[in-house]
Amino acid sequence: MSKEKKSGIMLNATNKLKNEMGRHFLAIEQAYRDGKPTAWATSGTPVEILYAMDVQAMLPENSATISAALKQSKNFIEIAEDQGYSYDLCSYFKTNVGAVSSKAEMSVGGIRKPTFMMSSDVICDTHVNWFQVQAERLNVPHFTLDIPHVVSNTNNRQREYFKKYVKEQLWELIDFITEVTGHEYNEEKAREVASNSYELGKIWQDVFELRKNIPCPVSTRDTFGGLFPLFTMPGLKSPIKLYKRMYKEAKARVNAGVGALENEEFRLIWGGIPFWFNLKFFSNLERWNAMIVYEPYVYAFSKYTNPNITKDDVLKHPVESMAELVLSFWYIYDLKTRVKKFKETIKEWKIDGVLLHNNMSCRPNSCGQYDLKRILMEELDIPSLVITSDMNDPRKLNETQVVNQIESFIEILRQRKEQ
Amino acid sequence: MKKIGIFDSGVETPEEIILAAGFISHRLFGDPTIEPDKVNEHIPPTHCVWTRNLLEQAIRGLDKDIVGIIATHGCDRTNREFDVWLKCINLDFMFFLNSPLKRNKISLKFFIDDMKELIAQLEDSFSVKVSSEKIKEAIKLMNKVRSLLMEISEFRSKMVLKGAEFHALVKKVQQIDKNEAVKLLEAKLEELKTKKATINKKYKKILLTGSDLDDTEFLEYIENLGFQIVIDDLGVGTKYFWNKVDENKEPIEALAKYHLEKPIHSTKFPSYERFDVIKKLAESYKVDGIINVAHKFCEPVLYDHPYLSKKFKELAIPYLFIEIEYNRESYKQLATRFEAFREII
Repeated sequence: MSKEKKSGIMLNATNKLKNEMGRHFLAIEQAYRDGKPTAWATSGTPVEILYAMDVQAMLPENSATISAALKQSKNFIEIAEDQGYSYDLCSYFKTNVGAVSSKAEMSVGGIRKPTFMMSSDVICDTHVNWFQVQAERLNVPHFTLDIPHVVSNTNNRQREYFKKYVKEQLWELIDFITEVTGHEYNEEKAREVASNSYELGKIWQDVFELRKNIPCPVSTRDTFGGLFPLFTMPGLKSPIKLYKRMYKEAKARVNAGVGALENEEFRLIWGGIPFWFNLKFFSNLERWNAMIVYEPYVYAFSKYTNPNITKDDVLKHPVESMAELVLSFWYIYDLKTRVKKFKETIKEWKIDGVLLHNNMSCRPNSCGQYDLKRILMEELDIPSLVITSDMNDPRKLNETQVVNQIESFIEILRQRKEQ
Repeated sequence: MKKIGIFDSGVETPEEIILAAGFISHRLFGDPTIEPDKVNEHIPPTHCVWTRNLLEQAIRGLDKDIVGIIATHGCDRTNREFDVWLKCINLDFMFFLNSPLKRNKISLKFFIDDMKELIAQLEDSFSVKVSSEKIKEAIKLMNKVRSLLMEISEFRSKMVLKGAEFHALVKKVQQIDKNEAVKLLEAKLEELKTKKATINKKYKKILLTGSDLDDTEFLEYIENLGFQIVIDDLGVGTKYFWNKVDENKEPIEALAKYHLEKPIHSTKFPSYERFDVIKKLAESYKVDGIINVAHKFCEPVLYDHPYLSKKFKELAIPYLFIEIEYNRESYKQLATRFEAFREII
């Protein structure tokens, strides 16, 4: 097996990501200078409502990944553990607690005290608990959205009253924001934000469509980082330009038959959040001519994946559409839908193998992976490997063991190709 | 009589609806004497030890009279694992009840809608009619159970009834026919009224809280180290009979209200209100200390612990936090911590 160093090519446009994120952080600084309201939001919440109401959004999860990428997360996590938070709790949460307690700069994952916090249990209970902890410590108001859980046998009748419940809470959220900030909801502004958000999500989906090509033009070098505007800036104009550039460049690669990796042999899915503290791990797959061409987690945040929600719906009824979208979000699919979606993806993106991250900080997402793995093998004859680690806590990655697992997994894929 | 099994990491399942449909409501509890085996093919070992144990038992085979399962949202484990239960358990009736995270008018309306859906699905699956009249009758019966438990519970602080014995009683009541439960509880109450306080007065009086602790032997183990559990804040405890369902209201609304007005669990928002409940209980029962026990990987309790610890420290109320595995062998390792706590209080 060849192990020589091979490097995939990153899109030039991705280099501009730093500028885009820089713009986001400058906007935060500016908001504090101008006395504009700010809010912490957990991923999966309707950040668009914040922008529509002229509130500057800040995502502590995004900040936590910065700490990890800069090898600071372990220090912050240990600070939180010293304060009594268990080794077994979410590493994003603990990174945030440690960073805030130690008054870390934004450049290393610190985050300033907001005017208020907005969370929801759409992805996990942790989001709600996390903001409860920090809202109490920082003494700021906190609004949480209760998103009913769609399970494998939820019927359409249930979906209707689920949607009604979420919609009512979104209006309640809007009232809460008005009460805290004095800013009124403006339907026209909400439409403009919704339109931008829709466009951003759709271009991201277009980029993923291009990844169906062999060779794949875009690697995780572009997608893992490229994801952040979807979290932090949905509804703003500027990231749209960046995504358009990414698309244009990727399209040119497709037209020229050029892939992100010179000799692409194995096309993989990465299920789950990456190890932000060790992104090198993913580019190292290139040594074996293996390439991740689809990440459900990264795709999920393109948001507009529900075919029942059209651009027209989003523009005419931004709040109502949001209620439907939070209930049908790739990252939280029930097991039955998740299996179906994996099967479709494997076929369309011509996948050879699936890597699933049993993330000790995201138990809700890890639950069901063993069944998913078995079904993919039994019904599609697609090998999968479950890797146990953590998204932000480097202490929970046994790199030697994982590399050995990957090596054996690639060997299996190679043998199957040779047969 | 056939049973409907309840998988709930809180106690927010409206048992009255199950009774009105003509079934015994039977809450599923763990069995710490069995080792995880088949569950390892479905749920990673780094997930909640208690819910893994429940699934292990379910795969091995549920009580033969159980004809359906209601999983009620407590924490993330319930909704995520429910999908796995659907894959592993071959029962015609499987319902996930979205007990709301929040407690306000909007969530009350939603809970009512979800209970109505539960009723519709029960009626459809079993060809039964769950009428308002039947639910009202069931509410009366359950209120009787609650009243008796409230009364019996007080014998713990009178040093007549061991906390572990009471725990076993509440557990049994959650699994049996409720008419039988009333008879059992009435007999127990009569017996207790004739008894004198025989529990060693030197035992330290504690309030027990934490995850949904269901292994009575664990409580026995604690009490044998020189404690008396005089009050608790548990699902197999006061949360099961905190107050009564309003018998004069429309029954489904009354049930939804009852569950949303109970003392909050760590699985719901804002769980920090749990502090107020525990504080009030600790003061009323003049406890010597509070013991908060989390099952390994029980995230909601782990999140609340530092806050509770800080608040009780401010009040100078002794507080001990313990994490436990779900097997009895591991309890022994905790003796030193319990003994040290007993010494300091």
